[in-house]
Amino acid sequence: MRKDHDLRDLLKGYAFLAPVCALLLAFVFLPVAGTLLDSLHRDVSFLPRRFIGLGNYRSMGSDPGFWQSLRFTGLFTLVSVPLELALGLAFALLLEHPTSARGFLRAGVLLPWAIPAAVSGRIFELIYNVQYGLANAIVTGIGLSEGPVHWLGTSAGAFLALVAADAWKTTPFVAILLLAGLSAIPEDLYRQAEVDRAGPLERFFRVTLPLLRPVLVVALLFRTIDSLRVFDLVFVLTGGGPGGSTTSLSMYGYRFFVGGDFGYGSAVSVVLFLLAFLFSLLYLRASRFGREIE
Amino acid sequence: MMLTFHGISKTFVSERGEVPAVRGVDLAVREGELFVLLGPSGCGKSTVLSLAAGLLSPSSGEIRLDGELVAAPRKKVFVSPRERNVAMVFQSYALYPHLDVFGNIAFPLRVAKGKEESITAEVARAASMLGIGDLLRARPGELSGGQRQRVAIARAIVRKPRLFLLDEPLSNLDAALRAATRAELKRLQRELSVTTLYVTHDQTEAMTLGDRVALMREGRVLQVGTPRELYETPRTPFAGSFIGPAPMNLLDAGVFEEEGRLHLRIGEERVALSPRKAGEVRQLATGRVLLGLRPEQVRISGDPGPPALRGIVVSAEYLGRERLVSVETAGGILTVLTDGEAPNEGDVVALALPIETASVFRPEEGE
Amino acid sequence: MSEERRIRILYTVGAAAMSAFCLLPVAYMVLVAASRRPDVFQAGAEVRLTAGHFLEVLGTESLHFPEYVVNGIAVSGLSAILAVALAAPAAYAVTRLELPGRMSFLFLVLAVSMFPPVSLVSYLFRMMSALGWINTYAALVLPYTAWVLPLSLWILASHFSRIPRDLDRAALLDGCGRLAALRKVMVPVAAPGILSTAILAFIFAFNEFLFALLLTTGRNARTIPVGIALFEGLHGEIPWGMIMAAATLAVVPVVLLVLVFQRGIVAGLTRGAVRE
Repeated sequence: MRKDHDLRDLLKGYAFLAPVCALLLAFVFLPVAGTLLDSLHRDVSFLPRRFIGLGNYRSMGSDPGFWQSLRFTGLFTLVSVPLELALGLAFALLLEHPTSARGFLRAGVLLPWAIPAAVSGRIFELIYNVQYGLANAIVTGIGLSEGPVHWLGTSAGAFLALVAADAWKTTPFVAILLLAGLSAIPEDLYRQAEVDRAGPLERFFRVTLPLLRPVLVVALLFRTIDSLRVFDLVFVLTGGGPGGSTTSLSMYGYRFFVGGDFGYGSAVSVVLFLLAFLFSLLYLRASRFGREIE
Repeated sequence: MMLTFHGISKTFVSERGEVPAVRGVDLAVREGELFVLLGPSGCGKSTVLSLAAGLLSPSSGEIRLDGELVAAPRKKVFVSPRERNVAMVFQSYALYPHLDVFGNIAFPLRVAKGKEESITAEVARAASMLGIGDLLRARPGELSGGQRQRVAIARAIVRKPRLFLLDEPLSNLDAALRAATRAELKRLQRELSVTTLYVTHDQTEAMTLGDRVALMREGRVLQVGTPRELYETPRTPFAGSFIGPAPMNLLDAGVFEEEGRLHLRIGEERVALSPRKAGEVRQLATGRVLLGLRPEQVRISGDPGPPALRGIVVSAEYLGRERLVSVETAGGILTVLTDGEAPNEGDVVALALPIETASVFRPEEGE
Repeated sequence: MSEERRIRILYTVGAAAMSAFCLLPVAYMVLVAASRRPDVFQAGAEVRLTAGHFLEVLGTESLHFPEYVVNGIAVSGLSAILAVALAAPAAYAVTRLELPGRMSFLFLVLAVSMFPPVSLVSYLFRMMSALGWINTYAALVLPYTAWVLPLSLWILASHFSRIPRDLDRAALLDGCGRLAALRKVMVPVAAPGILSTAILAFIFAFNEFLFALLLTTGRNARTIPVGIALFEGLHGEIPWGMIMAAATLAVVPVVLLVLVFQRGIVAGLTRGAVRE
């Protein structure tokens, strides 16, 4: 007999879980299912809704806009995630160093994370502004460029701007994840390495990095999923332009919703969902799910 | 009978498979008695306590509290802990850290929605009985181990439970405090005359505190009796070894008949048995027996009569009032507890073996 | 130079660079908000400080700024409270009661936190339209609560599992049922953890963008992120000073929370995301 408590306890337990289940069912699973269903229909405002099976997905295959947003999302993820991991690691190392300013530093580092993406989007919009922006002030001031750079006016510039803004916003989060991993490394290992005459760089590569690997993998997957579904920053900073070159998948789907095409928009968001889901599975495997609760 | 266990078994299921923590245990605790569950760690004694409390439900069997059936899986009966009016003092004391001492002791009364005035009186009464009346405003974090234990006890007795459960209450105290607390617990139990189930692995506690003791091992109850019964007539070699100031010596002895009388052969020695002892040995119906001799019964004698074993002293430990001497003999190494002059290492000594008061066991029962 | 000294210098430089990196954009925002003209870094510009933008943001009715702030705080506060209230019993059940299927439950809950919001929003929009809740608090509070539940559940479960089991058992023997044990013992003991969880939930809800963008249409329920994102000038030129002033005011709540609860937030984030 498995149960250590009587039936009453079991029912009570499920009752405790019920509200959470109900809420998630109603406001997460149902919408996702609904979106999935919508993606199988032709559903454009003012036109009658009609089931077309995989029709939307077939059109997607030959839709340059879709591929462009897929390319951008992929490239964005590929560039920003390693950047944020490396930077985050550096920050974590700095934050771990015991000093009296630690609390202050951590609060400061949390600020970018705490500020809404939409707000930081506008700040960076100003920073990259052609006339007044800080970026141009620096660049022309140092002499890197003669005239003001039209950052947000070129695809490359907009891309870089987004990467920079995203790095600013999310590096703190990565840093905090890695900080937990760093704190878990026992001091003794460093002592041993010192005794073995290993310099600080060697200690980093021999002790820190290997032991940090599981946390790094977790952070990598976590950030990848987040990067794939980026929306807020893109919407505010570049609006997806110029010419749709910085439209993320989320934004692409959003466009169709706003335009009244629920069918196609849903199909795009389902593709994104599947991508994120794939990485979530990897993430769950990597984080040795549930260990902590057990 | 206040508490009875009938054929109680408890098996835990985990990834490693099934773990039978308690097997076929029968117990009957009388009202007002201090009943001790004694045994090595892992023997199932704490599980029995949790079963009595209702924190676990048995896999099979029946538990009755004051005549009322409180657990019987076959009949689908299970009474929850709060309905049993049973109190428990945990090994960790489990004091509520967010409440002060008064709040802790008053907790069960408040849950039962008692009136504040009577609660205050009851708490004061319990606190003074435990000598912590002046600590009522303190927080558990500020108290010493001994004080925390008193608060835990006060919380347990404040609602006059019909069963009082204690899980190794003295093991977290330092040695000096233990003896004093032991005496206090006994006094308290007498004063309240509450039926008490007490779990410990320390045989001294069991022998000094218990009205009756149940010796447990690997989920089973080996023997139940008064401390004296367990000491004088252990039914298994394990009981002999576990109980007593030092483990019982177990000597291998052959049984043979000669001149119409039963004899034992120990090493080179041959001993004729008295009729009474012969009767005990005959009952075992075996050619070899394990002779159980307590170290405190074996005497180092200058001129011992038979039976005696000669041997060389291997070590002599100084225990203050006594000495624990190990002697290597033809029959094996014997430990002797002596309060007299101790021989030195290397000395040759003669040991008088008190066959009459020795215990006899079948050889298979020893390990 | 000794290794120690070298490390110390490296550290100081690194820490300074890191702080600059994090604080520079924020400082920039405040500076522009308080300046007459936004071209503070252009050659030959003179920096003239003014509180004018702030006053204008707060005072111009058509901007609805104070309303947005109130909406944001109200919606996030309600969601945070609701999320914690629902997650606490669930976390208790998962950690204390040996429920079969609790692992699948956690898995499901965790999976939710990885869904892209865009995959939910169109259907949510239709749901809220049908219920007539568009542009009301209800349209945001319920999805937000569902959205922050996974994180809340994980952090609370991690806190609860650290409380010794004996405390539960003592409560049960003292006459509590499961719900009473949760209310009278677990919650008070885990109170600091519960607070940080609520604060994290608040921050996440407060900063949310997509749902707010599509499920609200005006001052009744619109929140700050949307308000700031859509802040356009009334004439041709973008009023950067005002935008930055609005942004500064908007981030005051979260900044205060972060400064005060920095420790709890860091602990909560690491618990919620790093499952070692």
